[in-house]
Amino acid sequence: MTPPDFNALGDDDFRARVREFFAQHYPPHLRFVLRRARLAEMKAWYLTLSRHGWIAPNWPREYGGMGLDTGKMIILLEETERYGVSRVPDHGIVQVGPILMKYGTPGQQQFYLPKILTGEHIWGQGYSEPNAGSDLASLATSAVPDGDDFIVNGQKIWTTLAHDSTHIYLLARTSREGKKQEGISFLLVDAASPGITIRPIRNIAGHEEFCEVFFDNVRVPQANLVGGLNKGWTVAKALLSFERINIGSPRRPQYALKRLEQLAHAKGLFEDPGFVDKFTALELDLADLGSLYARYVEVVKRGEELGQEVSMLKIWAMEAWQRLTDLLIETAHEYGGMPGEHSMDGVDVDVLSPFYYARPGTIYGGSSEIQRNILAKYVLKLPS
Amino acid sequence: MPADPATSSTGNEHARMLRDSVADFVKRGTDIKRVRRLRETQPGFERPVWQQMAQFGWLGILVPEAYGGLGLGCTEMAIVAAGTASALTPEPLTAAAVLAAGAIMRSDNETLKRELLESLVAGASIPALAWQENAGVIDATQCTVRAEPFEAAIKLNGGKKFIAGAAGADGFVVSAQSPEGLTLYWVPAGSSGVTLDLQPLADGRTTGTLQLNDVVVPPSHVLASAACAREALEGAIDTTLVMAGAEMGGVMGRALDMSVDYMKTRVQFGKPIGSFQALAHRAVDLHIQRELSSAVLDDAVALFDAGVTGTRRSSMASRVKARCSEAGLRITREAIQIHGAIGFTDEYDAGLYLKRALTLSAWLGNAAQHRRRYAELAVTHE
Ligand SMILES: Cc1cc2nc3c(=O)[nH]c(=O)nc-3n(C[C@H](O)[C@H](O)[C@H](O)COP(=O)(O)OP(=O)(O)OC[C@H]3O[C@@H](n4cnc5c(N)ncnc54)[C@H](O)[C@@H]3O)c2cc1C
Repeated sequence: MTPPDFNALGDDDFRARVREFFAQHYPPHLRFVLRRARLAEMKAWYLTLSRHGWIAPNWPREYGGMGLDTGKMIILLEETERYGVSRVPDHGIVQVGPILMKYGTPGQQQFYLPKILTGEHIWGQGYSEPNAGSDLASLATSAVPDGDDFIVNGQKIWTTLAHDSTHIYLLARTSREGKKQEGISFLLVDAASPGITIRPIRNIAGHEEFCEVFFDNVRVPQANLVGGLNKGWTVAKALLSFERINIGSPRRPQYALKRLEQLAHAKGLFEDPGFVDKFTALELDLADLGSLYARYVEVVKRGEELGQEVSMLKIWAMEAWQRLTDLLIETAHEYGGMPGEHSMDGVDVDVLSPFYYARPGTIYGGSSEIQRNILAKYVLKLPS
Repeated sequence: MPADPATSSTGNEHARMLRDSVADFVKRGTDIKRVRRLRETQPGFERPVWQQMAQFGWLGILVPEAYGGLGLGCTEMAIVAAGTASALTPEPLTAAAVLAAGAIMRSDNETLKRELLESLVAGASIPALAWQENAGVIDATQCTVRAEPFEAAIKLNGGKKFIAGAAGADGFVVSAQSPEGLTLYWVPAGSSGVTLDLQPLADGRTTGTLQLNDVVVPPSHVLASAACAREALEGAIDTTLVMAGAEMGGVMGRALDMSVDYMKTRVQFGKPIGSFQALAHRAVDLHIQRELSSAVLDDAVALFDAGVTGTRRSSMASRVKARCSEAGLRITREAIQIHGAIGFTDEYDAGLYLKRALTLSAWLGNAAQHRRRYAELAVTHE
């Protein structure tokens, strides 16, 4: 089943197709879920996407993806956000697939890629450890060769949806010599392997979304090594250009912005110059982010490499999102201290969920402090 | 160090004893495990602990000696409010012993007043104040609950919202418009025609919504006549704003201490993260916020204890609530950032402090509302 060539459609036609698709197929009760939806809730949607050939928009068509170009990708993501479509557990699609296409053996590609498309394999990212967060290269989980296998020992943490994953892609230490980055390998691990224990960790929003994963003498076939021994750092850092700008897209805060606007209208706050200034400042923070984002999108569309300066998108997007949810809390008055959805002046809003979920945006995927260090060093070339 | 409003009044024996009893209580009588266990339960606190607070005299700090209290002031109350809040104690101390007690103390039904204050101070009965009807309102005169003569009694109709300490309250001080004007009534919990709903707060406690349908109140339960009801409410609210600021001081103090400790011990890139200047400067900025909060709080308790009234009192209360709400939210938000992913977990305490800060900030008006109130009061003052 080869999907049509969506890139051949005009932008407006493609957008209409996407809207129609969501309206027709997306479960209404899962619109605007203000947390990370679990696999059990999203499985049916995963399968729907899979059946229609829509599950892997970023993959080339010959691998069973939609093969969307950057412009079409953006349209799809805009519509996803606009309709309030939740993320499926997508690490296989977004990370493992592209990595295997670039670094995997033909055997690995043939085995894993189709199973990601069908949803048979769901992947979790096992990078961070208790003592290796921002300083990921200091990771200590070890993989020691033993016959045809590696024996893996150690602990990963903050693994998002590990308890929903059938597989975990892992960075493990395979050498203690030389630079720390040069002793790390990238492994594909079956989460059902003996010796793996997964413990969910509840977040401050009250949901169990990330986990601790313990490895106790876990056997991983050497055939599951990707990109060569001690080459894991290169594999992990080789994110596609598009993924690097996507985290800085201006779409994420749209729910909060829209609700804030509705709430402010209902409360008559647009008569209040003090509020108007606060609101407009944020609106323009996001609008201008959109302009900056579009500039980088053009770079990617031209097929050029993105430099380190792309870090600024993530900083601005995540911090503007936080400021927006701060204003949402403030505008909700008493309801700013009350969890769940409340009717305020006729508008139904949950203000605390967006507020809580905006918090870690400046922590995961390289914290704001780390991103600033990168910009200072590589863009401004400041001495360190 | 948690914000400590009494540092300026060293030598004050009461203050010293209270500080000791608070430190002792926080160490032994209450702990974070208990706070976690009581989250999302009802009433969300423990009567034996409340009794203990009564024994320490905390419930009567602001109550005149003639009514069984200690007759102390805001200086002393702030020590207890900050200390217990720094341990996230869930008992409704400020809701009952400052807000409700403040309204009762300023009332003119001597018999009822004595009865309510004595049983509050003894820990026997917990009152809650039901004055607010709409979100975003700090003005006690905005009141639509009606009090109408009914045979030899009074009949109340209407609704109240955002009642702090409503869970487990033995009765409510309810404001209503009577033919004479704004009046306060005592309505025991469970009276016929009274419905109480509890809604969860961010910190795991609850806030109450009260429905009054033809609630019949005997004349003996008219707590404050129209001659004093308004001042009773406004005085109680202003005092509570300052004490909520003290509580926020305790919360922000502990959250910042926790963060600074973490910066000294958490190692990344071979160094304690506190050695990274980006974080070090952030921590200093937060410390400045904490000190600004404790300084304005010090000024406020001194002014209140000197008997300030009217617009000056309300302006000062708004200054405290504005600064402490802003600083408390900022410090507890940054505490998460400084901790990284562990700060986003429910298991780690930083999130509990953020949630108490969210709750305290939203109570009786957040920073933006109080900046506005301050500005409006300044205009009327001229
Ligand atoms: C919701 C969520 C989901 C996640 N999902 C995953 C996942 O699926 N898989 C996975 O592997 N990981 C995941 N992570 C982990 C994430 O990658 C780490 O949280 C991140 O790398 C930061 O590490 P840390 O939490 O240990 O904080 P730390 O590195 O300990 O940082 C603590 C503080 O110190 C600051 N800091 C550290 N170094 C410096 C420096 N050099 N200069 C200035 N400041 C510095 C940080 O910015 C932060 O403020 C997730 C995290 C979150 C919050």
